[in-house]
Amino acid sequence: MRFGFAIGLFGVVILSHAAYSTVQYRGLLKIMEEEFSGPPLNVVAELLVGLVLCTWAALTVPGKFLSIHPDSEENRIVSLPDNMDFMIFNHRGRVLPSQLDLKLKH
Amino acid sequence: MVTKSEEDQLNRLESQVDNGGGGEWEYLCLVRKLKVRRPDKVLKHGLAILNDFKKRSALGTEDWTLCEQVAIAAMDCQCLDVAKDCIKVLRKRFPDSKRVGRLEGMLLEAKGLWAEAEKAYSSFLEDNPFDQVIHKRRVAVAKAQGNISTAIECLNKYLDTFMADNDAWRELAEIYVSLQMYKQAAFCYEELILSQPTNPLYHIAYADVLYTNGGIENLQAAKKYYASAINLTGGKNQRALFGVCLCTSAIGQLSKGRNKDDKESPELQALAVAALEKDYKQGAPDKLPLLTSTLKSLRVSS
Repeated sequence: MRFGFAIGLFGVVILSHAAYSTVQYRGLLKIMEEEFSGPPLNVVAELLVGLVLCTWAALTVPGKFLSIHPDSEENRIVSLPDNMDFMIFNHRGRVLPSQLDLKLKH
Repeated sequence: MVTKSEEDQLNRLESQVDNGGGGEWEYLCLVRKLKVRRPDKVLKHGLAILNDFKKRSALGTEDWTLCEQVAIAAMDCQCLDVAKDCIKVLRKRFPDSKRVGRLEGMLLEAKGLWAEAEKAYSSFLEDNPFDQVIHKRRVAVAKAQGNISTAIECLNKYLDTFMADNDAWRELAEIYVSLQMYKQAAFCYEELILSQPTNPLYHIAYADVLYTNGGIENLQAAKKYYASAINLTGGKNQRALFGVCLCTSAIGQLSKGRNKDDKESPELQALAVAALEKDYKQGAPDKLPLLTSTLKSLRVSS
């Protein structure tokens, strides 16, 4: 996890470096009075590398992804909660002897 | 709603605490969260925590919630002294609490003193006529005494005010089913499906009621609802699969005399039968011949 975090940080650093070089490139173009059509190729390559690193880090750092399908094996509903608000105590368990000699110590 | 992973976790924790492996507080929290009814285990392990000073102080302020949970479990197991002690402790700590008052009312119910319980609840309702839980307890008192008609009346009046309460609709549906008033039960289940359309168990219950009612339209609707339940559970719910087979055979029997439009494709039944046979082969292979002969007789008679 640490490794993924480090990779992510590195990717962010690469992206910010690419942003900085683009800003510098634009400044250079302003001096040379040319149009800004797009960042230079090495900056584009740097952007792609940063993208790959950040995406990889984003997928590995959070850990195991949970399923979102409602009908998957973990998410399918197997039983409803017992209606505790309407619970009655007048059931057959009343006549069973309570085998446990329990007391609250206070 | 209890999902499969939560049920597995609950079973695992239950076996763990039963074999003395610790994790009681986790188990009790899970029981409280899932709202399942396990009074004997809650009582045993909750009381063990409450009686142990070290474990109790580790909980901090949560031990009052545990006290309430143990009190209710004690009432369910008919250990009324434990319940009375817990409620006394809670009353000393929270002298003006409605929640403790409700517990005292429930203790009166557990003792069988219906009139006193009813009086206590009515006095609570005078103070606050919109207290939902007290209304529901009154319905429970009527149900416990056996006055099903009073219970239905109270529940209907409650639902006129609080229409969004799913538990109450479910309770009303179950009461109607117990009285064999299937049309009204179907209405209640329709309300439930409207509010929670992704819960397959309501679809199955509704389809059961429709199938019991009978008649060709009801059977066709029941088949559709069983199919939607199969869809929502990923085909793992055997009751829905059986429901599809039974509905198809019942529809076939009813429409034997008429000329067969046969817009009902036989694929659904074939798929359901195949899924059932696969499940039985995996889960209970010695019962597989019994299953195949039953299904064959259903198909032959239709």
